Amino acid sequence: MKPFDIVIVGGGGAGLYAAMEAMKTNPALNIAVLSKVYPNRSHTSAAQGGANAALANKAKDDTVEMHIFDTIKGSDYLADQDAVEVLCSEAPKIIRELENIGTPWSRMEDNTIAQRPFGGAGRPRCCYCADKTGHTILQTLYEQCLRKGVLFFNEYFALNLSVHGSRSRGLIAMNMKSGKVEAFPAKTVIFATGGYAKMYWNRSSNAAGNTGDGQAIAYRAGIPMKDMEFVQFHPTGLRKSGLLVTEGARGEGGYLINKDGERFMARYAKEKMELGPRDLVSRSIETEILEGRGFDSPAGKYIHLDLRHLGADLIKSRLPQIREMSLNFEGVDPIEEPIPIRPTAHYSMGGIDTDNFGRTVMDGVYAAGECACVSVHGANRLGGNSLLDILVFGRIAGHTAAEEAGKFEPGSISEEELRESVDDIRSRMQPSGHYERYGALREELGQTLALNVGIFRESSLLHKGIHDIGELKDRFKKVRVFDSSDVFNTNLQQVLELQNMLDLAETVAVGALAREESRGSHTRIDFPVRDDEKWHKHTLATLVDGKATPGEKPVTMGRYELQERTY
Amino acid sequence: MTEIIDQHQEGKRDVTFRVFRFNPQVDSKPYFDDYTISAERGITVLRSLNYIKEHVDATLSFRAFCQAGICGSCGMRVNGISKLACTSQVWDELDKCREPGIIRVEPLRSLPMIKDLIVDMDPLVDKMTRYSNWVDSTMPLDEMGKKEFLISEEEFQQYDKATDCILCASCVSECSILRANKEYVSPAVLLKSYRMNVDSRDGIHDLRLAELVKDHGVWDCTHCYRCQESCVKSIPIMEAIHAIREDALEKRGPRDTSGAKHAEAFMEDIEKKGKLVEATLPIRTNGVVWTLRNLLPMAMKMIVKRRTPPPPPLVKSAKGIKIFRAMFREMTEHVKQDHLKSHKK
Ligand SMILES: Cc1cc2nc3c(=O)[nH]c(=O)nc-3n(C[C@H](O)[C@H](O)[C@H](O)COP(=O)(O)OP(=O)(O)OC[C@H]3O[C@@H](n4cnc5c(N)ncnc54)[C@H](O)[C@@H]3O)c2cc1C
Ligand code: SF4
Ligand code: SF4
Ligand code: FES
Repeated sequence: MKPFDIVIVGGGGAGLYAAMEAMKTNPALNIAVLSKVYPNRSHTSAAQGGANAALANKAKDDTVEMHIFDTIKGSDYLADQDAVEVLCSEAPKIIRELENIGTPWSRMEDNTIAQRPFGGAGRPRCCYCADKTGHTILQTLYEQCLRKGVLFFNEYFALNLSVHGSRSRGLIAMNMKSGKVEAFPAKTVIFATGGYAKMYWNRSSNAAGNTGDGQAIAYRAGIPMKDMEFVQFHPTGLRKSGLLVTEGARGEGGYLINKDGERFMARYAKEKMELGPRDLVSRSIETEILEGRGFDSPAGKYIHLDLRHLGADLIKSRLPQIREMSLNFEGVDPIEEPIPIRPTAHYSMGGIDTDNFGRTVMDGVYAAGECACVSVHGANRLGGNSLLDILVFGRIAGHTAAEEAGKFEPGSISEEELRESVDDIRSRMQPSGHYERYGALREELGQTLALNVGIFRESSLLHKGIHDIGELKDRFKKVRVFDSSDVFNTNLQQVLELQNMLDLAETVAVGALAREESRGSHTRIDFPVRDDEKWHKHTLATLVDGKATPGEKPVTMGRYELQERTY
Repeated sequence: MTEIIDQHQEGKRDVTFRVFRFNPQVDSKPYFDDYTISAERGITVLRSLNYIKEHVDATLSFRAFCQAGICGSCGMRVNGISKLACTSQVWDELDKCREPGIIRVEPLRSLPMIKDLIVDMDPLVDKMTRYSNWVDSTMPLDEMGKKEFLISEEEFQQYDKATDCILCASCVSECSILRANKEYVSPAVLLKSYRMNVDSRDGIHDLRLAELVKDHGVWDCTHCYRCQESCVKSIPIMEAIHAIREDALEKRGPRDTSGAKHAEAFMEDIEKKGKLVEATLPIRTNGVVWTLRNLLPMAMKMIVKRRTPPPPPLVKSAKGIKIFRAMFREMTEHVKQDHLKSHKK
């Protein structure tokens, strides 16, 4: 294949924006976008709430400055302040740009883009399109990429980076339709592969494919991961699937009830009750379950989200989506029965370590979106800041790669390297003797993470988690692929995704053990307070001799001094 | 997934999934495999398929991603109807089986088969490209990002529902014309085209419309409503199709394309007989050869299923053509009202 100037891995919001911007920066470049699903299927489509920008359409006194402060405070002061400044000051421009190219934003009475309040924001600055914001943004970007003739390789599964010395020469990927392993020699590669929260498996709100592939590929190539221990939990996930029941249910007055019939939030947030901040409500539910006041089921322990007192009319008119979800995924009609829920892993703050331009430590390799960690979210992401992150930094990474591609030699990938990747796959495809089932391992990984590297963490639990992950990695060696077909081998794909999750899970657990403090989403029972003196810094995890090796990096400060985070 | 096999107080029901299988590398033709599992209440078809893949047969192949009815990956036919596997409850499907206890699962139709339940989506993407399914913004490049277009709530309402489409291709699979003519634009693409055409930010309305009225375009639709009935997001697709047609007649007049011929034939029928002679419409629009080659095989099947309109001689002039005309007008009004309503959620 002809060498590319830029190969973008991922067709979500970050990848598509990068592609558009790279084409705009230099139309002569040869650019390809690879995606394991059709771009419009990417998980960006799941975001309902919206994207933050200080447009001041709703609250006339909103400013970029306030957005910056809210974000830094929300991050529990772990975000890099210069990066946050880029994020928030680019926000109004990028939201308008999206508007200009066709995103159907909901509108205010004066016909400007509508905005609503969102957790942790001092002003209503979350721009939305009904309850389908991510979906409509993704559709718009995909449409525009089709318009511009972006070259897509849909249903290609990225396997490895081809690394020579200190730089990458391109990417190796499998064409799912043919099963062929193909080389994508390239001057630059941008990872935009989304988050890794699916490693919590049934305890995650994420799509089945949010397995952190890009991060794992970069990690195996020696690129450090940053702040991996920070995983955001959402309080109300459905018991069986982990799928999200949005805040709306509690906003309208839903109760959280334990097995003794108590509205237990009275114990944790007397005034705000069910409407406390996400992390607090998650911890409260988890405490109820840990102390034996949860319900029991084969799918695990849970508590009730009770909407019945709201009445059929209100449920039907104001919460139709939530009722549908509950019917579709639990078979429960909230008009008649409470919804079984428990906290669910929702968002990964950590990811590939990049600078403010999307560069990683490896020449020619960039990252953006949820798979990257710039860091703008620090220890805790604010709702509505993630869509913004993927757009702003997707664009920046696209721009940087387009500008810098000329600096690098055209990549080339040898036949031998390709064969190695193929052999690797082939060796998995010969079922013989004792073998392990990938499905069981995947579930066990989710369970051990939820139990030991979940909402509450503690030294002995984390040691157990690390031990379990190690054992699962050993057992993984015996996992076999039973589908011998070349055509669309989803069995093989899922096994490879499991491998990626296992590699990354270790970095999450190791980071969580190292960080002896509680900050944002990371709660250590044995170190219950934030320790700025020792831990006001990023953690890094680099693969050295097959092991996750911890490192650290300072936080970039700016105008805002450290303060206690209270709401 | 252990909850499926574990004992549970909620009870379980035995169910057999009869699944369409085809691996182009080894199978000369498709066949069905039966998988029997027990499913508790609340389990979806997709979760069952996942269970089968993990525990019974790892070679079973299908697409799934979000598992929440938003990404559009898992479109397939369950008990003969195209829908999303991830939002279909097994217990509900059990009540709809033709053979008790057996849920049939097949791939979407009218898209090339790849393997088992996986079909090729590229033809749909190609059509989105052919019909410019994007906003070509009138905002000058150097103004981009500097200011907003001001859009009224009324305009937003016009495309609000249409932008719910997740490109799952269920409507594509159910479309009667597509089964005969693979080049037909497709309901989802018509819907998207409509959505772009009513967007005031877009500058290529006329160009898109010109493409839509060509062969295989908007005039080929037979008004069978199947797309709308099967839309997984309950989008009033037919309203979009009507709107494009009205737009075309208004902006382009009735005479320039095969579509217009179709429209003329339509009007003629109404005037002469007070009824739509559906059976002759395709012949008059597309010519005899096209009709024989493309529609006859389907028509034969439809006759067997008694779904086809009666052949021409049987269509008598409606009694009281005046009354009919009044009804026709009323109907048109109705459609318009519906249109307005359906775009206000
Ligand atoms: C239920 C839910 C609701 C949310 N709501 C909000 C909200 O209201 N506001 C907000 O700001 N954020 C929200 N988020 C977070 C936000 O949606 C995500 O962080 C964001 O969409 C991630 O975008 P992305 O472009 O980085 O990745 P994704 O959209 O996940 O895209 C990843 C892409 O990478 C591709 N890919 C992955 N691996 C490979 C591989 N091996 N080979 C080839 N391609 C690959 C995929 O095909 C895909 O195209 C929500 C998240 C969830 C789960
Ligand atoms: S109404 Fe038209 S587009 Fe819809 S299914 Fe029938 S022929 Fe196809
Ligand atoms: S119109 Fe409805 S059925 Fe058709 S692709 Fe869109 S969502 Fe699916
Ligand atoms: S898996 Fe996404 S719609 Fe069903």
